[in-house]
Amino acid sequence: MVDTVQSTIIGPSIVIRANLQGDEDLTVLGRVEGTINLTKTVNVAESGVVKADLTVRNAIVSGVVVGNITASDSVEITEAGRMVGDIRAPRVIIVDGARFRGTVDMGDLDAPRASGPLPARTVSSRSAAPIKGALPARGEVAKAKPLPPPMARPAPVKSAPLAAKPAAPATKPAVEAVTVPAAPIAAKKKIKKKVVVKKKGE
Amino acid sequence: MANTVIGSSIVIDGEITGDEDLVIQGTVKGKIQLKESLYVESSGVVEADIETQNIEVSGQVTGNVTASDKVELKSECRMVGDIKAPRILIADGASFKGNVDMDV
Repeated sequence: MVDTVQSTIIGPSIVIRANLQGDEDLTVLGRVEGTINLTKTVNVAESGVVKADLTVRNAIVSGVVVGNITASDSVEITEAGRMVGDIRAPRVIIVDGARFRGTVDMGDLDAPRASGPLPARTVSSRSAAPIKGALPARGEVAKAKPLPPPMARPAPVKSAPLAAKPAAPATKPAVEAVTVPAAPIAAKKKIKKKVVVKKKGE
Repeated sequence: MANTVIGSSIVIDGEITGDEDLVIQGTVKGKIQLKESLYVESSGVVEADIETQNIEVSGQVTGNVTASDKVELKSECRMVGDIKAPRILIADGASFKGNVDMDV
């Protein structure tokens, strides 16, 4: 590492057909086909086209991505972004105007809820704070209520594949009765996202 | 900087093509085809066959290089492979093993 601010840029007229891996930020203005493996952030700019499976920490999609993204932190599709493929990440942000087709898997839905509302996680995502915050919280939930998590799990999962509106009234009371505070947020969020995605996609 | 930079921790295994300058600080294996200049910086390692207009090597290159204009081997560079180009410059201190073809 020569520079502290390390960044790789794939220019607009560059085409890479390769397996690409690294430990620094990557900005794609051109075209990449193959696989991308990064421990940092991949940024697909508006002119960027990526036909690849990505394994990264963060992904910001403002261009076109065809392929699956597995992110250890977050995936964000901006309003100019278009994506076809599956997303696996604890935080998935799809803004208004973004176009997306595929499935979203935020992993174990119990775990991230315990650490509190989204803004806090977003702000502190680059420090060590969320890890410290999340782990004790997870433990508290497990100690305080050993039974609710398995109960809560099926509720949001069921609501997702079914039509969003009919499922919502059925799941909400069930979750509230169990008194897991964060679970309703999970269900609402998922439904909202699904609706946005469907409107834009079809 | 709008041009393309392959940073020092990046490893690319495959093919790169393009119409703009390319700076390599990391590792590239496979094949590189450019219509502009290629800069292999001192931290750069290239194991590839290269077709480009200009190439400037300060790092390590293993492979055959064909340039339509110029190949420049800077001091401290290490290059193994054949070079084919109308203009070839080898600086004092450069290590090079291979064939040179200036199409004379």
